[in-house]
Amino acid sequence: MGEDFTQQIRDKAKELLENGAVECVIGYETGSDGVSARPAFIYDAAEVDRLAFDNTCTHNLVKYLLDKKGKSTAVVVKGCDSRALNLLLSERQIQRDKVYVIGVVCPGVVEWGWNKRSEQLQKRCNWCRQHTPVVSDFAVGEPITEEPPAEFADVAEMATKTAEDRATFWRDQAERCIRCYACRQACPGCYCIDCFVELLDPEWVGIRIAPDENWMWNTIRAYHLGGRCISCNECERVCPVNIPLSLLNRKLEQEVLDLFDYKAGMSEDAPAPLITFKKDENLGIAE
Amino acid sequence: MSEDNSPLVIGFLCNWCSYAGADMAGTSRQAYPPNIRIMRVPCSGRVDPLLIVKCFEEGADAVLVAGCHPGDCHYTEGNYHGRRRFALLRDLLDFMGIEKERFRIEWISASEGKRFAKVVSEFTDEMTKLGPRKVG
Repeated sequence: MGEDFTQQIRDKAKELLENGAVECVIGYETGSDGVSARPAFIYDAAEVDRLAFDNTCTHNLVKYLLDKKGKSTAVVVKGCDSRALNLLLSERQIQRDKVYVIGVVCPGVVEWGWNKRSEQLQKRCNWCRQHTPVVSDFAVGEPITEEPPAEFADVAEMATKTAEDRATFWRDQAERCIRCYACRQACPGCYCIDCFVELLDPEWVGIRIAPDENWMWNTIRAYHLGGRCISCNECERVCPVNIPLSLLNRKLEQEVLDLFDYKAGMSEDAPAPLITFKKDENLGIAE
Repeated sequence: MSEDNSPLVIGFLCNWCSYAGADMAGTSRQAYPPNIRIMRVPCSGRVDPLLIVKCFEEGADAVLVAGCHPGDCHYTEGNYHGRRRFALLRDLLDFMGIEKERFRIEWISASEGKRFAKVVSEFTDEMTKLGPRKVG
């Protein structure tokens, strides 16, 4: 996989930069530890050999397109990342004709750290039902058409606990949170210029780093991505204190699937569930 | 939770139906528990989920959102939007340990004073039985 994918991405990037189709190619390169990948921004065709693709290419590069508004840019996406692209397109954050999508059929990414990599797939890859990008202008790899049905075992397990245990669990998580907002910064769906958490009037979340405030932040962060989260799980990966944010995101993903039969980022036209409604739905409210 | 251990319920009532319904309960001398603290909002669609989560963060035992019946919204579709948001939020809060029962959504029209009193009485009773929130 690695060599072949890398070569295809390099060739395409070279072609795009040489004929001036794009100003920048956002892809992956091997980091300075020589093992793990990091995002790479290539502006010059002579530098395309920096680009690489292997199973440590974990970052969701679509996030960077938000800084490239109006500029022609090529981006390397995996299956999950491609859904983020659709999300941003449907929310009119980026323009389709300014983005050239190099879609890689994702073999799954592994757990890695500085100067080391394991062979163990990341959690998200076990849940992943979208190895093939949903949108691409240039496809790398053989598309995978058959995916098993979605499963939510971790969410179901949490739901078997008592309410008090669940509250205690999330209380403990909130206690560990340092509100560094890495989860927000890594998330392609979190692009509000004025995030509610930083507003002073009204001050939704106090500046104090304490369980109450942290609980509020984590609850609303998850909720604001309800029906929008595309399960790239970057938020959880970048969390320095390892809060299982995927549990919240996946709970919402499951509910959105159950209530509205909707999966985020599958098309650029489908309206998000919370900006639309049906008159005759009940949703278990005020029966 | 107040000092005498009775639940603290925050009520968000829409200006056009439920708030008038509460008024109706008052003017027709229907008694209902004083546990509910009422906020008047323009529409149930105005009730930002942030407001509800903030109530729970600040220690409320329960939250009631009441608005016009579906189809009767003063702004045509505010309560339809609200309904979707609340359905999702209720599930998320339940998952985080705030029982579904603690967050109630009701449609109460301006003429349903009696029903408003009944809803608040029942809700308060239920919350007294459920007891205060144990964590958070």
